[in-house]
Amino acid sequence: MFGSLANMQPRQLAAQILQFALVLSTAFMLWKGLSVVTDSGSPIVVVLSGSMEPAFQRGDLLFLWNRRQETQVGEVVVYNVRDKDIPIVHRVIRRFGGGSKPLQLLTKGDNNAADDTELYARGQTFLDRKKDVVGSVAGYVPYVGYVTILLSEYPWLKTAMLVFMALTVVLQRE
Amino acid sequence: MAESKISPYNLADLKNTTDDALGNYMRSLGFQQDNKTTDIKLAVGYVGCIIAAATFAADYKLGWEATKTWTAVAVFAYMVLNGFYSYWVYFVEKGLVFEGTKSGKHVSIASKTNKHEPTYYLTITTNAPSTDPRKIQAPFPTWFTADGFFVAKPFQQWLASSVGVIGDADAKNAMRDQRDELASPKMPAAEASVPEDIGNGTVESTGVESKGKSGKRSKRK
Repeated sequence: MFGSLANMQPRQLAAQILQFALVLSTAFMLWKGLSVVTDSGSPIVVVLSGSMEPAFQRGDLLFLWNRRQETQVGEVVVYNVRDKDIPIVHRVIRRFGGGSKPLQLLTKGDNNAADDTELYARGQTFLDRKKDVVGSVAGYVPYVGYVTILLSEYPWLKTAMLVFMALTVVLQRE
Repeated sequence: MAESKISPYNLADLKNTTDDALGNYMRSLGFQQDNKTTDIKLAVGYVGCIIAAATFAADYKLGWEATKTWTAVAVFAYMVLNGFYSYWVYFVEKGLVFEGTKSGKHVSIASKTNKHEPTYYLTITTNAPSTDPRKIQAPFPTWFTADGFFVAKPFQQWLASSVGVIGDADAKNAMRDQRDELASPKMPAAEASVPEDIGNGTVESTGVESKGKSGKRSKRK
């Protein structure tokens, strides 16, 4: 299997490795391109909990749009808890400010009994639209997100997938 | 070098093995390989990858908000570079297998195959007198055994006898003496009438089928 690699000229080998590097680079740059277009740090997120049932289930893939700063009550937004890297998908139930004053939001999961005040950081009682919100949900695809859930629960899967991809692209010369 | 076996039914393997052999043969004849086309492709490709890597590093260290503008610029630059790379590979490199020079003669060889057809097509461009790109072809079984072993001799003979520049560099495989002999045989007087009877003097080729040139040669007496 690796015999074909050993017989290659150095430039050919460089070209084969470049092909694999381009696959990764293009995938990454497409992701970043989507970020730039939607103006969101994470334009596609996976629903991890059942707190938004029956609207969104665990494993759903959500597409975000962050260019509408005038978020309305009833919109579903994704926000990061301050100082923590946990994105949460909940619905806006109250808004304060807006216009010339900074917009502040209160959120609650459809399937939760209480609003999100307990989830926010210590001393925080509402979300800042500009600073905390990653984007509002513009569309979704069910079940597809389970792949991401698997990859995060079994990290060795990520390495295995990457190694497999690398071998396939570098050794293939069609 | 140990010859490795390939599947004689796998067109990609046939083409790649032949392409590699072509490059090795040309280099062994003393052609200085010109790597400009490949180098440009590699340079553009790797610059794009470096930009992507830098964007990844910046995003990892500084987060999304701080790197927004740089990311937008980088994505645009990457798309331009990637577009150029694709254009280069598809239109300029287009099947190029070898490009090189020997004693002032420049030769550029591109190869091609068609799906499900075991024929090797070459397009040769030289700076020799006839400047049109020359197209030659031969079936892969000419230089592959039925088990899938590559045999260098018939391959080199085909190349040296079909392409003037290669034949000049490799007189042995070009077999110009045999070619000229077949074209205008120096016959003893008693058999002088035989060629007349054939009519327009077409010389039939005998023996190995791969000598395409002699098969088509006709000589007006």
